[in-house]
Amino acid sequence: MSYTPLLQQLMEALRCLPGVGPKSAQRMTFHLLERDPEGALRLAKALTEAVERVGRCGSCRTLSEDPLCPLCASQRRDRRLLCVVETPADVLAVEQSGAYAGLYFVLGGHLSPLDGIGPEEIGVDALLARAREGVEEVILATNPTVEGEATAHYIGELLRELGVGVSRIAHGVPLGGELEYVDGSTLTRALAGRKPI
Amino acid sequence: MSERVSLQPAYVLHQRAYRETSRLIEVLSCDYGRIGIVARGARRPGSRVRPLLQPFVPLLLSWSAAGELATLTGAEPAGTALHLQGDALVCGFYLNEVLLRLLTRHDPAPELFSAYHEALGGLQTHGCDPTILRRFEKRLLDVLGYGLQLREDARGAALSADRRYHYEPQRGAVPADADRDAPAGGVAILGRCLQALAADAPLDGICRRQVQRLLAAILAPHLGPRPLKSRDLLLRIRRRRTTK
Repeated sequence: MSYTPLLQQLMEALRCLPGVGPKSAQRMTFHLLERDPEGALRLAKALTEAVERVGRCGSCRTLSEDPLCPLCASQRRDRRLLCVVETPADVLAVEQSGAYAGLYFVLGGHLSPLDGIGPEEIGVDALLARAREGVEEVILATNPTVEGEATAHYIGELLRELGVGVSRIAHGVPLGGELEYVDGSTLTRALAGRKPI
Repeated sequence: MSERVSLQPAYVLHQRAYRETSRLIEVLSCDYGRIGIVARGARRPGSRVRPLLQPFVPLLLSWSAAGELATLTGAEPAGTALHLQGDALVCGFYLNEVLLRLLTRHDPAPELFSAYHEALGGLQTHGCDPTILRRFEKRLLDVLGYGLQLREDARGAALSADRRYHYEPQRGAVPADADRDAPAGGVAILGRCLQALAADAPLDGICRRQVQRLLAAILAPHLGPRPLKSRDLLLRIRRRRTTK
């Protein structure tokens, strides 16, 4: 059966969300219109506002509606430490660990020559400019994939030339994991990066 | 009609996100050549194959194929994982980029697989040594049917180490002073460099440059006009180091 144009339009719009196919879009549409029209209006308003006002933080490039995100604006953070991550979601992940009190820099991706992504596309120049602003140590927390490693290597070399301390997050066995089920490459890294106790 | 392949030696050349939770991986396999395989669920957080399906990891892959794309049914590590670091990693990307440009899917080339395997092993032990890349490019051209004529010169005479040649893809190595009526185009190269390339011998400074120019010129028409990003990246890293 075919829906009226407005229903059709809403269903198609909902499908831009990850994991939403035609069936889920249909369920969401009926739920919003039949059971929760108020929620639907709130959602519409929130979406419009967010898309219109949220941009990038001028310092760390994470998502923020202010020129400086709350983390960068905070006086409590250690300004000598800079943690380089690939995405805003990674900032959140590190933040939730509670183990880090410095500032961040979001690359917005990783070096991936085969996808045509080079140093310009991930804003390496902006990072270097940022690192000159009194940063003492840069922690490279790009993903432990080959692309993430290549990115860390490339950036690390540039930063060392600036005379900034550079470190890479450790790779190893996940907590609560069992060695038996850990893949060989991870174990190799875990052994190579062992620590005296 | 679907074909099932089990525990086939393979390397992932490239991968990208596919649908919500899957990955589409381009694979170089030993007996089946380049294949596009969908790895279902390989982007889910707990996926067991996720850490395995990385470039430069020797794998045993199982898949079933019905159409253009195959579906991954199993992945196991094959032997010790390589651990390319730094420049060697960028050189590895270069090999992958060249392979993806030049290979079509479903064109078996076991010799190429072993050449790739050896090249990665070389990168792991010696870092990004240009000799490794040149040797790989030579073998790749052989497999593709554009192999270099390195046994003798264009006239069928033995190559002489001290002689200068112009290498032309159609004719082979033309002695520089031989053919005054039809001046050779092609790439200027010394006899001993051609001999070293033929014998897979180490290349000295002069030969390294000449052989690099020769292979680049022969590969260029097949690679197409788009520049290779990994080569740009490598040149950039190198140039910065030398200007420092």
